[in-house]
Amino acid sequence: MTDIFLILVGAILVNNFVLTQFLGLCPFMGVSGKVETAIGMSAATLFVLTLASACSYLVFHYLLVPLGLEYLRTISFIVVIAAVVSITEMVMHKTSPLLYRVLGIFLPLITSNCAVLGVALLNINQAHSFAQSIFYGFGAASGFSLVLILFSAMREKLSQCDIPEPFQGAAIAMITAGLMSLAFMGFSGMV
Amino acid sequence: MATSFFSVFPALVNPVVALLGMGLGIGALLAFVSKTFRLESDPVVEKINDLLPQTQCGQCGYPGCKPYAEAIALGDAINKCPPGGEKTILNLADLLNVQVLPLDETYGHEEIKKVAFIREEECIGCAKCIPACPVDAILGAPKFMHTVIESECTGCDLCIEPCPVDCIDLIEVSQVSLSSSQAMNDEEYLACINCGLCIDECPVDILPHELYWACRGGELEQAEALNLMHCIECGKCDKICPSHIPLVDFYQSSKLELKSQQRQKVDAENAKQRFENHQIRMAKLDAKEEHRRNKRAELAKQNRQQTSSESIKAALERVKARKK
Repeated sequence: MTDIFLILVGAILVNNFVLTQFLGLCPFMGVSGKVETAIGMSAATLFVLTLASACSYLVFHYLLVPLGLEYLRTISFIVVIAAVVSITEMVMHKTSPLLYRVLGIFLPLITSNCAVLGVALLNINQAHSFAQSIFYGFGAASGFSLVLILFSAMREKLSQCDIPEPFQGAAIAMITAGLMSLAFMGFSGMV
Repeated sequence: MATSFFSVFPALVNPVVALLGMGLGIGALLAFVSKTFRLESDPVVEKINDLLPQTQCGQCGYPGCKPYAEAIALGDAINKCPPGGEKTILNLADLLNVQVLPLDETYGHEEIKKVAFIREEECIGCAKCIPACPVDAILGAPKFMHTVIESECTGCDLCIEPCPVDCIDLIEVSQVSLSSSQAMNDEEYLACINCGLCIDECPVDILPHELYWACRGGELEQAEALNLMHCIECGKCDKICPSHIPLVDFYQSSKLELKSQQRQKVDAENAKQRFENHQIRMAKLDAKEEHRRNKRAELAKQNRQQTSSESIKAALERVKARKK
């Protein structure tokens, strides 16, 4: 129980994938314009990451290890992640077409979100058990969601403010992200 | 060939088989999911349609707002609606997360809202304008004078062309001007420093400085959520503000805009309903007309057959009579 709690805290706060390990920055900057979109993206990533880390654990331990094909893990994880993303995309197109349209290219791009592949590979590197892998993926996605939603809320507020001209748009977003990252560095060493 | 290849490279068998198997399994799963989650209709169309002004004018090249909404859902440009103008384009871009485009001027210019008006002494009662009106806003019967129900007219100008005596005019509707006041524009005031003095001063307990940011940024939804409509415009926040921001001016213009937006929404909803009813009515009329035409054609055919066979008989008899 304690180890799972530690994994969660570690993945969400201490080793936050976006702000500490700098993985998954593309959707972090790209889909943070509006809070609703950010929430949708977070939900999709949460689903994909948790499922993908479980699937990749199964594929690694029950397909690749018995056949002695550990060196194929990167390519097979990418295939698994792509499949999970495609399924998510189809389900979302049916259940929430507006969100599907708003997320647009960022939904298929979860495939190439390095946080997803990163979690799958780190799970192997750190020799996590099946349950630990799932919680690590879930924690990583929760950390991503937390940061993405906070960031989009800030950007919404920023859009109404008097920002000096040279800092408008992406510049102030980058500065905000940097400050958030600094704040999250404060958690380092906690776990 | 294949066996010899794998006998040369035995280490390749396992990875190829494993990856192939995985690919096949995943492919089968994807095929199954795509079959179970197939889409029948696109609910996005409804959302797009709600943002269109529902004038049903057809200036976009489609016969009404719904068909244009369907076209947009399939990827048509969002800048073909002159009556909606800039505001509609902004809303659509926001909804669909696409680039804001300037209005395509080939489809028309954005104009002040107009309504049709029939010069009644000149109307000859031909009833040609009645089916042309997409929202059934013209009252009248053949050989009687017609008139336009002003509150239902969307100003689409589709009735102008069918009128044989040109007795229909489009007249501008007087609208409240939404222009911001002088004080808001001339930047005589300083930036809001979030001092919060206005909060204590407000007699109706709204957050004047938060509301100021929302009104200034044009975030009307947010302003409404911050109880913009509760403001009684007493001006106490104006007086206390150390930055001399004309707060009430901001609230007033936002209130006006919010009200006009709400009115437009109600009007659009109404016009949509009337357009649907109009289409149902026209379909019924067409079916009736079609039925009558078919019946008449059948009757004519019967008559022709009868008469032709009778005339042949008569001719034969005449020939017989001559031979005798």
